[in-house]
Amino acid sequence: MSPPAAPAASDTVIASVAELLAHALELEYASQAHYEQLADSMAVHHNVDVADLFRRLAALSGQHAEDVAKHAGDMTLPRIPPWAFKWECPDAPEGSDCLDANVSYQMSTTEAIAVALHNERRGHAYYLHVAASATDAEARRLASTMAAEEAQHVALLESMLTAAGGSQRSAPEDLDPPHIPD
Amino acid sequence: MTVGDDAANRIAERHKASIPSLRAKDYKSDVKPVWCPGCGHFGVLAALTKTLAYLELPPERVAVVSGIGCSSRLPAYLAVHGFHGVHGRVLPLATGLKAARPELTVIAAGGDGDGFSIGGNHFLHACRRNQDLTYIVMDNEVYGMTKGQASPTTQPDWCRSKLTPHGTGMRRFQPAAIALAAGASFIARGYAGDPNGLTRLLAAAIEHPGFAFVHVLSPCRTFRPEQQAWKQLVHGCELGPAHDAAEAAELIQRDDGLGLGVLFEQEIPVYTAGVTADAADTLTTNERLAAIEAEHCR
Repeated sequence: MSPPAAPAASDTVIASVAELLAHALELEYASQAHYEQLADSMAVHHNVDVADLFRRLAALSGQHAEDVAKHAGDMTLPRIPPWAFKWECPDAPEGSDCLDANVSYQMSTTEAIAVALHNERRGHAYYLHVAASATDAEARRLASTMAAEEAQHVALLESMLTAAGGSQRSAPEDLDPPHIPD
Repeated sequence: MTVGDDAANRIAERHKASIPSLRAKDYKSDVKPVWCPGCGHFGVLAALTKTLAYLELPPERVAVVSGIGCSSRLPAYLAVHGFHGVHGRVLPLATGLKAARPELTVIAAGGDGDGFSIGGNHFLHACRRNQDLTYIVMDNEVYGMTKGQASPTTQPDWCRSKLTPHGTGMRRFQPAAIALAAGASFIARGYAGDPNGLTRLLAAAIEHPGFAFVHVLSPCRTFRPEQQAWKQLVHGCELGPAHDAAEAAELIQRDDGLGLGVLFEQEIPVYTAGVTADAADTLTTNERLAAIEAEHCR
């Protein structure tokens, strides 16, 4: 089983453009699924502002996935089992850490941006890693381009975080607190 | 990669073509999960949908049934056949469904209270019957839906519930050991915080011919926040999978309960209730029921 043990160095080396695109597609799909899941959770718990923010982030990830698919064009991408993607975290770098201790149904917009920023930084670091380690020159070049795009997302979220920092609002009312009853 | 490689490699070999035509989201319904954000069950939902997509199982050929509890909400969040049953009765439901519709991939799901307490007896007999089912138990060691009471897998000294202020004082139910003793032919343990690793176990379980039990450590962040530490404590179970029950017993007893992977796998005759998939496709409901009745009245 894979869980906590980091894969060997050779297990994380991308060998072709097609392999990189398969990973990029999975990364964006996982990101989209993660944000949709968070948006749904927040909507269920009446945290409307944060739900809206995650919904917009999910749409952006979906757009990025479409861009990757367009880039792949008619190329046949390799079929990779979910457990065999070449990243060291348990899920895709921008995907779900479903046990993220920073996620709460009463989280603020600022906290939600911080979660998104963490994900984008992981995505950025992943593409930098591929740009430095891929054995195929074209894959390294493409990964550099993707890393530059991710850097823009990181910068955007950092500016959003700075802007939102001073405008904390109180948490939404909890009509059914999950405390153990007396 | 160590444990479970055999099964995982066999599956990967059969699916070497280009990327699947179905995606995980194709198996998700429009119902929004009411689980607490940060709940481990989200990881199980993600792993199961990825598994179904990877195996390219048509949604209309899959059925997920459940009992009662937070985890048993699972069928509502999936766009496959689903049935949310009564407390502890997920395995009788799954057994009946598989007998009547053998062509379906039937997955039973629930929690530790549902499966090991209220449904404990059904668990034993489903294991020994070895019908071709997959049973996923999302174990958070607490009754979460009723707001935090001790379950069969809770530590004896856990005293946060007012019902057990000094702990339960009882030894914990040992799911893997009991499944083995009861005759299960596939036993695996996964962790909800590792959805891709869990996907590998679920794929192997679904492909296994017979009763496949997947015990998933799925933290409850609301009533058992200390389970966040599982992330650092889980580890690959390096010695598995065992293919011999005696070896498996030793492996399971030596493990600390946090070892992940396929623990035991054995191919033994599968219980089919006398109706083959091909035959069932051509039978009317009455004929199918008559065939099942004939099988059981021999």
